[in-house]
Amino acid sequence: MSSPSDAEVISRSLGEPEAFGLIYDRHAASLLRFLGRRAGAKVAEGLVGELFRIAFERRRTFDASRASALPWLYGIGSNLLLKHRRGEARWLRASARMATGLEAAEARASAAALDARLLFPRVADAIEALPDGDREALLLFAWEDLSYQSVAEALELPIGTVRSRLNRARARLRELLEANGKSKVRSR
Amino acid sequence: MKPVDLARKLRREAALDPAALDRGKAVLMAAIRQEVEPTRRPTIVPQVPYEDIRAALSFLERAFGFREIPTARFVGADGELLHATVEFGNSLIGVGGQGHHGAISPMSGGVESQFISVHVDDIDAHYQRAVAAGARIADELRDHSWGERTYWALDLEGHRWRFGQPIREVPQSESRGRPGQE
Repeated sequence: MSSPSDAEVISRSLGEPEAFGLIYDRHAASLLRFLGRRAGAKVAEGLVGELFRIAFERRRTFDASRASALPWLYGIGSNLLLKHRRGEARWLRASARMATGLEAAEARASAAALDARLLFPRVADAIEALPDGDREALLLFAWEDLSYQSVAEALELPIGTVRSRLNRARARLRELLEANGKSKVRSR
Repeated sequence: MKPVDLARKLRREAALDPAALDRGKAVLMAAIRQEVEPTRRPTIVPQVPYEDIRAALSFLERAFGFREIPTARFVGADGELLHATVEFGNSLIGVGGQGHHGAISPMSGGVESQFISVHVDDIDAHYQRAVAAGARIADELRDHSWGERTYWALDLEGHRWRFGQPIREVPQSESRGRPGQE
């Protein structure tokens, strides 16, 4: 016998609230890692229970035509993170510093290496400066590997809107790449 | 490099505490429990003073089936148990040290200024349990004309408790006497 879909479990939890515990068991580890990638361990550990508490309280609004609850849960997580923007910004800047270090190590072996020391802090700033909706679409797509369809479900947007948000975010990052290339040429 | 790959370079895993998942689940399960059994916060909570709180808690559980809520314990810096809360049915009773807030245990005060009335589901079983645990019976188990079966007991420090269970509906015209006047 196949195990029930998330939609079936959530629907059952309307009458038997305890059934919702299974949704936690299935997805909490993914959501905890997601929150950790976005805002660090401390914030993530404090938010994961809250995320599922909110999901439980809103379970009546879950669209039962979707088999997986994962995009819906990501969407709740994204909203929660909006209240932790400062923690998120700190984590992102630290990630940029670490990425710079890693890239510098690789750069010695690679002629095509980017000027990571300049580039990554700018990428962090650019991601930070994106409008909330654009940043959310970009990070769900780039870091969580969600499909366009799943990002659309998470953010409760038409897929066309997700596409245009991602295009805007891409354009912004492409500018940085090109500027970085030029600065490297100039510095020689 | 593609622009999205540039964003991926900043993706970094956090060093997560594996126990965080258990703590998170506890938060969820508390919310679920709250929906299953709505929070009981009675409007009135009787506070009953005892000379020995620990002995009282043990007796109230054994004799009357009042269960302590462990998370509601209030312990002083020196480890002394200052206050506890017990639950029974949909009600709560505070169990505190005598002398605090002017309340005195009958054991040292020598008087009972009030009694507490408790409705139980199986009065005969409750009576047996109280007797077995050494409760002093102040008024024997019996039926009353107003349609209730009751007994009265004194706990280990002399507080007076009245336990009752409705046994039948009695029309007003037929009723003689009133509850509490037995």
